[in-house]
Amino acid sequence: MISQAAVTRLASLKRGPIVAALLHAAFQDVRDAKLPGDLRQVFRRAFVMLAGLASMTVGFIDLASYIDRPVDESDAETRCPLPRAGLRPAELSSFPHRQVRPRFPAMTDANPPVLIAQGIGHLARTFLREVGSVFWFIMNTFEEAFERIQHGRVPFRATSFFRHTERAGVDSVPLAGLVSFFLGLTMALLTGYQLQRFGTERLIPGLVAIGFTRELGPLLTGIMLAARIGAAYTAELGTMQVSEEVEAIEAMGIGPLRFLVAPRMLALVLLMPCLSTVSNIAAIFASSLVCKAYFSIAFPYFLDLVKDSLLIRDIITGILKSFLFGLLISAIACYRGLTVKGGAAGVGTSTTSSVVTAITAVIGFDTLYNVVYTTFYPT
Amino acid sequence: MTTPTHMVELRDVSMQFEEKKVLDGFSLNVEPQERLVIMGQTGSGKSTILRLILGTLRPNSGSIFFKRFEITRLQRRKLQAVRQHMGMVYQYSALLSSRNVRDNVALPLEELTDKSRAEIDKIVDEKLDLVGMKDSKDLLPEELSGGMRKRVALARALVLEPELILLDEPSAGLDPVIASVIDELIISLSETAKVTSVTVTHEMDSAFRIGTRMAMLYQGKIIEEAEPEKFKQSKNPVVAQFLSGSTEGPILEGSLDAITKK
Repeated sequence: MISQAAVTRLASLKRGPIVAALLHAAFQDVRDAKLPGDLRQVFRRAFVMLAGLASMTVGFIDLASYIDRPVDESDAETRCPLPRAGLRPAELSSFPHRQVRPRFPAMTDANPPVLIAQGIGHLARTFLREVGSVFWFIMNTFEEAFERIQHGRVPFRATSFFRHTERAGVDSVPLAGLVSFFLGLTMALLTGYQLQRFGTERLIPGLVAIGFTRELGPLLTGIMLAARIGAAYTAELGTMQVSEEVEAIEAMGIGPLRFLVAPRMLALVLLMPCLSTVSNIAAIFASSLVCKAYFSIAFPYFLDLVKDSLLIRDIITGILKSFLFGLLISAIACYRGLTVKGGAAGVGTSTTSSVVTAITAVIGFDTLYNVVYTTFYPT
Repeated sequence: MTTPTHMVELRDVSMQFEEKKVLDGFSLNVEPQERLVIMGQTGSGKSTILRLILGTLRPNSGSIFFKRFEITRLQRRKLQAVRQHMGMVYQYSALLSSRNVRDNVALPLEELTDKSRAEIDKIVDEKLDLVGMKDSKDLLPEELSGGMRKRVALARALVLEPELILLDEPSAGLDPVIASVIDELIISLSETAKVTSVTVTHEMDSAFRIGTRMAMLYQGKIIEEAEPEKFKQSKNPVVAQFLSGSTEGPILEGSLDAITKK
C-alpha cells in the first residue's frame, strides 16, 4: 500500500511524526487508488478510524516523550514540562523543551476525514498533555519537598499543614456526615422495600455496609471534597498567581510547590480516608435506623449482620481508594490554581474547570480502580 | 567564562511572547554598587528584564549572568540559592494577602534560614523601622495604602541582606512625598549597605533622583546609556522625546496619525 518514497521519508523521521507521516502516506495512497465507489467509501471510513487511533497513538508517544526526556543538551536541567509555577502560560513558549515537542505535520488537504482525524488527534493530545502535566506537577512537588528534607529542613511549617487539615478535614465532617446519612437512609429504604418482597430484609445491612465501604463512601467524599476543598484551593492559588504573589514567593528563592502545594496535598491525602470513614459510619448508622423502624431488625442483630458481611478487604479497598482520590483532587486543584491566566475571570474559569476535572477524574479513577481490583481479586 | 566584575550581565538576550518580540538582542551590564535606572515606555519590556535577571522567565536566546552564575543555565536548586542574594519589589507589591505585615517580612527568614524566632523578630523590626512601618506590624496588606505596601515590600526584599535589589516602578501611583521617601530610601541603602539596585520606571523625577546611570529601552534594545547629566542632554531623538513628553518624534510615529485623525 505504502509507496517506496513514503517509506524512505518515514525512515528520516523520528518518534511522534512517524505515525503522522504514516497516516499522510496512507491517505495519499487511498486518494490515488482508482477504486470503485463503494470500496472507496469503505476505505474512507476505515481510514478515519485508523487515523483517529493513530493520532491518539501520537498523543501517547507525546506523553512518553515527556517521560523519557531530556530532549536536548541545553534543556537537560529544566526537567519539568510544567511551567515553573511563577510563569504565565503566555510565557511558556520561552521554554525550549516546549518548542522541541514533536509537532503534528499540518495536513493542508482540507478533506473532511482528515479534519475529523486531526480534531480527534488534537483532543487526544491536549488530554494527554494535561494528564502528563498533572503527573509531573505531583512529581515536582514531591521532589521539592524531599529536597528540603534531604537538607535537614521541614518542607513546610506544621502550623500551615494543620491549618489546611482543619479546613479540609475537620470542617468537612458535617457535610460528609450529613450527606452520607441521608444517602444511607434512602438506600436502606429503597432496597428494603424491594427485598421485603422476597423476605430477605436481613440483606440490607450488608448491602449498605459493603456498598459504602467499598464504593460510595470514598466516591461521595471525593466528589464533595472536590467541590468544597478543590474549588477553594484553585481559587486561592489562582488569586495568588494573578496578584503575582506566587511569583514573589519564587523570587525570594522559596519553592512555591513545596511551600504552597505540598501542605495542601498532604492534608487532603491524609484526611480523605478519615472523611470517607466518617461517611461510611454515618451511612451505616442511618440504615440501622431504617432497619429498626421499618424492617424490625434490632440494633445488635443489625451489627452482627454488618460484621458478617463486611470483609477486611472491602475496608482496605475503600481506604486505599480514598488516598488516591485525595491526591488526585489536591493535585488537579492546585495545578489549575497555579496555571490560572487572565485575571479574575480566569480564576473563575479555572475553578469551574478544577471542580469538573476533579470530579470526572475521581469517578474515572474509581472505575479504573474497580476494573483492576476485580481482575486481580475476583469475588 | 565571564568576568566577575559585573554584578549582572545580560548578553544578547532575545525574548518573545508568542508573536510579540519584547527584547531583541538586548545587552546590559550592571556594575557593583551603582543605581541603574532603566527607562522606557509602558509595555516595552522593562519588567521583563527584571524577571529575566531573577530567572522567573527564561529568554529565547542569549545568556544572563549574576556575578559568576549563569542564571539561564542554573538548576532549580541553585537558582533558588542565587535568588536569595537578590531582592525584588514588585509594581503592585505582591505581598501575601493572608499574612500580616510582620509575617510577610519574616517569610524569607522563616523559610530559608535557621534563625530563632527572637532573631527573626529583631531583624523584622529593624527592617520595618528602616522603611518607617514599625507601627503597622499586625495589619494585613489589604489594610495598608499603596505607599505603605510598597515600603513593606521593600522591607521584605531587604530582609535577607541582598546584594542586588530590583525595583519595578517603585514610585508609580504614589503621591510625590511618599515617592521621594522611597527614592531616598533606595539611595541611602546603596550608600550605607552598598546594595546595587536596578530600577525600572518611567517617572522622570524619581528616575533622575535615584539613578547614578540611566539606560533607555526602546524597541527591545538599549538605545542610550549614560550618566544622568549626559542622559538629559542626549541627542537621540527617542530619548529627547521621552524626556520632554512631547507627542512629536519617533515614538508613536504612525499611531499618532491614527489618533489625530479621530
